[in-house]
Amino acid sequence: MSRESSVIVGAGPAGLTAAYELGKRGMTSTVLEASDQVGGISKTVNYRGYRFDIGGHRFFSKVPLINELWHEILGEEFLLRPRISRIYYNQHFFDYPLKPMNALAGLGPLESFLIGLSYIKAKFFHIHDEKTFEQWVSNRFGYRLYSIFFKTYTEKVWGIPCHEISADWAAQRIKNLSLKQAVRNAVFGARQGMDGSTLTSLIEQFHYPRFGPGLMWERCRDLIQRQGSQTIHGVKVERVRHRQGLVDCVQGRGAAGESLEYDGGHFVSTMPLRDLVQVLDPLPPDDVLKAAQALRYRDYLTVVLVIDRESVFPDNWLYVHSPEVKLGRIQNYKNWSPYMVPDPSRTSLGLEYFLWDTDEMWTWSDERLIELGIRECAQIGLIDPRDVKDGTVVRMEKAYPVYDQVYQESVDRIRRYLETFSNLQTIGRNGLHRYNNQDHSMLTGVYAAGNILGDKRDVWSVNTEKEYHEEERATQPNAGDRLVPTCVAVSVDMADAAVEEAENAVIEGAFARIDPLALGVAVGAVSGAGIFAASAVLLLSGGPAPGPTLSLLGNYLFGFDVTWPGAVIGLFEGGLVGGAVGALAAGLRNWTLRLYAKIVQWREGRDDRRHLLDKM
Amino acid sequence: MESRASQQDEVSRTIARVKADALALVCGLIGGLSLFVMTAWLVLKGGPQPGQHLQLLSNFFVGYSVTWTGAFVGLLYGVFTGGAAGWLVGRMYNAVVDARKK
Ligand SMILES: Cc1cc2nc3c(=O)[nH]c(=O)nc-3n(C[C@H](O)[C@H](O)[C@H](O)COP(=O)(O)OP(=O)(O)OC[C@H]3O[C@@H](n4cnc5c(N)ncnc54)[C@H](O)[C@@H]3O)c2cc1C
Repeated sequence: MSRESSVIVGAGPAGLTAAYELGKRGMTSTVLEASDQVGGISKTVNYRGYRFDIGGHRFFSKVPLINELWHEILGEEFLLRPRISRIYYNQHFFDYPLKPMNALAGLGPLESFLIGLSYIKAKFFHIHDEKTFEQWVSNRFGYRLYSIFFKTYTEKVWGIPCHEISADWAAQRIKNLSLKQAVRNAVFGARQGMDGSTLTSLIEQFHYPRFGPGLMWERCRDLIQRQGSQTIHGVKVERVRHRQGLVDCVQGRGAAGESLEYDGGHFVSTMPLRDLVQVLDPLPPDDVLKAAQALRYRDYLTVVLVIDRESVFPDNWLYVHSPEVKLGRIQNYKNWSPYMVPDPSRTSLGLEYFLWDTDEMWTWSDERLIELGIRECAQIGLIDPRDVKDGTVVRMEKAYPVYDQVYQESVDRIRRYLETFSNLQTIGRNGLHRYNNQDHSMLTGVYAAGNILGDKRDVWSVNTEKEYHEEERATQPNAGDRLVPTCVAVSVDMADAAVEEAENAVIEGAFARIDPLALGVAVGAVSGAGIFAASAVLLLSGGPAPGPTLSLLGNYLFGFDVTWPGAVIGLFEGGLVGGAVGALAAGLRNWTLRLYAKIVQWREGRDDRRHLLDKM
Repeated sequence: MESRASQQDEVSRTIARVKADALALVCGLIGGLSLFVMTAWLVLKGGPQPGQHLQLLSNFFVGYSVTWTGAFVGLLYGVFTGGAAGWLVGRMYNAVVDARKK
């Protein structure tokens, strides 16, 4: 293979996007994929004509470049689907995001009253030093609502008690827009999705490929093949050989156990960061190895049941909060796209279980898992077991990179070490150990390809605080938002940057502060001078008792009357009063605008808080 | 230096400057129209001695009276006085803002 070509490990969204971008710019690559399918976590599995994803993959992004790429790859194959999702708890379905009347009906008046009380209590007895997820959510929703609608599900997904999950983790999931950004969204509208629809509306509806997300990645694989690159399946990379800060080649094992070797000029890895460190040859220093070993991943399996019913429930997915079942979420793939089932009279449900690969349940046979799925679905009253006609199980290791207390330090250490290689980049979700959506992962692929071709992009900046800095060209805190990926620094799109700058300039001007001191001085001076001039006119025009009416001002200006000393008093006191009025007016005007911005900011946060579960 | 947090907490970091001419125009129009409407209202209301208090403005505005003619004279005076006050406030405000910037 040419030294100029690239070797990419992993044919998930990040790896395929990197190959595609390289191909567009005339550079070929070899993509090595351990499994027999492309798409990684975003693949679509086809079981006897029933298609399903790992979870469900909504397509929406704030990054214009990614929206363009999606269109470029998949053309008109996207469906725009309405989003319906509910929470199943205590034999009731609750609309999600929660709606007051619906929640009241489901919970009953007594429970609703108690929830109200606990909410009020949270507002008055706020836990000041929020350390845990439990405290963070209880502070905002009240303990009772938290324990019904957040606790069980979060613990099912992450396998960690909520009082051990850091409060930051929840806070990071809520957009922490600066006042300016909030106002900009309100005035100019939020970023737009694929067809120009706003992101808020895309939370209510979303794009989805006709045959699931796998279709996107199969198309992408075909496109890169046409560009002259190749995707080789069944090759699990087990060694990355390097010398003096340069990777020479990667070695893998083929499906038949044969040893394979691939060399190239550039290497891009999307394999989990932990694995990458462990396959480096020679091995990195001990501290880096230890850091890698400290990285944890949550695993996932889905039990798919084929039900002999045209419709089971109208939702795309259900959150299952009931603590009596292990089941965390149920996907109804037919409602994602009707093309996901081969027979319209049947429905396929994906029952999602979140596990550690060390859990005993992870090793259960498919039959046992299917049995459990049927039992749990029947237990919560969703199906009649006799309607289940078929079933299968798909396991996805390392579906979620875990953000525990030590992960950041470990990632930083590994990152510093990997940066000593000049021709190796690690990208993607597990490659960066970041809770990325497809669009983030793809963007890291775009950046990596750019870097190979001479750009200088920081793949680590995608879906982090830093990207917001770049976006805003000012500092502002936030962290990766899984559900609503915020606009990352697509400096490639200069027009976008210019529009943003123009918008910022308009807001800077419209919200410019009036200086209270300056206005106070100006209004004070003009008022004082006005009173003095009025008195002087009356005094100069003479008469026995000049200005009886103007003298009434003496009721307010202590010692004022229409005499020369009175005029001087009027000048000063009028000046003072005018000054106070001017300063007050300026302050009020500034305060009103700030209040407006705060309300807008709060509203943006509220939308995020309402969708908190989606971001788990 | 402003703290990072307080910088983030601002919609705009610009201090507004006022266009004195525009402020003069606005204040002039408000002044003129107000005096016109106040005078006209009293004239329309009628009575034995309409607007005896407003009439006192003639001490400052020569030729002003609470009559239809006076309303138009008042309009001109109001425009002039309001305009002058607005212009002065604008200029002074900008001067203070500039001085504080230095
Ligand atoms: C339950 C769930 C729901 C999700 N929902 C959404 C959603 O609604 N919208 C959205 O945009 N995103 C969603 N995501 C995220 C999305 O799936 C990921 O962001 C995306 O798939 C990451 O792409 P990637 O290429 O970085 O990594 P991956 O998808 O993990 O791909 C990595 C690839 O590398 C291969 N590989 C690993 N190690 C080796 C090796 N040693 N040798 C060779 N090959 C190797 C793997 O087999 C895999 O194919 C969801 C994820 C989960 C788990």
